[in-house]
Amino acid sequence: MKTWLGLYYHSHLSEPVEASVLAAENYIAIAWRNAEGTTEKVNWDMNAVTAIFDHSIQGTKITYSGQQNSRLIINGKQALDFILQTQAEKRKPWYKKERAKEWLRNLAIFLGIAGILITAYFLLVPWFSEKLASTVSVKTEAQFGDAVYQALDLSQQEDPEASVMVNEFFRKMEIRTSYNIQVTVVKGDIVNAFALPGGRIVIYTALLDQLTSYPELAALLGHEFTHVNNRHSTKSVFRQLGSKVFLGLLFGKMGSVTTVLANQADRFKSLTYSRSLEKEADLDGLSLLKERQIDPAGFSGLFGHLRSSTPESGVPEFLESHPDIDKRIEYINHASKDHTVKENPELKAIFEKIKQ
Amino acid sequence: MIITTTGFVEGRPVQEYLGVINAQSIIGANIFKDILGGLRDVFGGRSKTYEKVIEQAKEDALRELTEKGQLAGANAIIGVDLDFETIGGNGSMLMVIATGTAVRL
Repeated sequence: MKTWLGLYYHSHLSEPVEASVLAAENYIAIAWRNAEGTTEKVNWDMNAVTAIFDHSIQGTKITYSGQQNSRLIINGKQALDFILQTQAEKRKPWYKKERAKEWLRNLAIFLGIAGILITAYFLLVPWFSEKLASTVSVKTEAQFGDAVYQALDLSQQEDPEASVMVNEFFRKMEIRTSYNIQVTVVKGDIVNAFALPGGRIVIYTALLDQLTSYPELAALLGHEFTHVNNRHSTKSVFRQLGSKVFLGLLFGKMGSVTTVLANQADRFKSLTYSRSLEKEADLDGLSLLKERQIDPAGFSGLFGHLRSSTPESGVPEFLESHPDIDKRIEYINHASKDHTVKENPELKAIFEKIKQ
Repeated sequence: MIITTTGFVEGRPVQEYLGVINAQSIIGANIFKDILGGLRDVFGGRSKTYEKVIEQAKEDALRELTEKGQLAGANAIIGVDLDFETIGGNGSMLMVIATGTAVRL
């Protein structure tokens, strides 16, 4: 923006009047007092003005195509320079204009920062969290698992006899691990089982009752054991903590809407992770069965029981913590093609004892 | 149009006082500039980003003041004063108030 004082000629023949001139990016505003003492003002479009330097008066002469007979004279060359520079800037294509250049640069920096943050969120934070999780000792994990087990208050409903037999079954599977695996059978009508960090596996009687063959129990234990042995719970806890801390640092000061959106997005991400862990538990569990020549059909049987006891939720897979049962059966069948099966009389005998 | 922070214009006495005029401009740094400004806050140094915002706000306020002066029939605005205030949540926006006396010299 520039301001000057100038002489304004309203028409060819009119006397000049002293005018105050304001030149902005898009227009030139000229105001003067007329003979009656009132103020008059005109605005000239910057694109339609022509400015030349008149040597005879040593001033800038400005004319406007919308008002052919008017002209404005401003002393010196300053006005000419400003008008020519402004017009040249306006004629540039949008991406060459100073403002657009600044925007593009800002956008590039913003995208760069967003890219770094997204990479950190999806790759670095999980990687670092898992590294941290792997430094937790087996003992600490066991203490954590025990604390959760106590909090769940399940010992009252325990079926001690069944627990002893299932533990016996697990020992006979001869799985080597640094964890002290303790299986607890709990009376309850929930068709489910879960593993806690450090070695505790809990199986509900409702699920145990439904099992029809020892490979099914072996599949169930193989799956839950993998959760313990691969530190799935500990990793999940650390990943969630890592994500929460990261999002907290990032969105801590933002409005609640942003926080809610970020948390929901984070939940979707942890569900995806949870599904990948379930798949890993299925496949590693299958390997355990394979090494012991136990029938892999135990998995399909187990999934069959889970499906028949849980009504169709209608919830799409991406909202579920576990993969779709059909998909689980599919990848288990695919992975167990060259599986040699041999009857294991010991496991069979223990299983039959459990079922009595 | 002469715009000055002094109370008089050298060699040109005031013929007529046309009253006090003021104009204000409120401008946000915008999210990109806030990020850049934030980075500058971390790494130190001059923040051109915020300097440009202040410059823009000052320019807008002075342009509006000049237009008001023109409408009042002035050919000069003397004793111009610029005040800067931050407003909005976390002081994220900047307000510039330009005040001056419209006169005819």
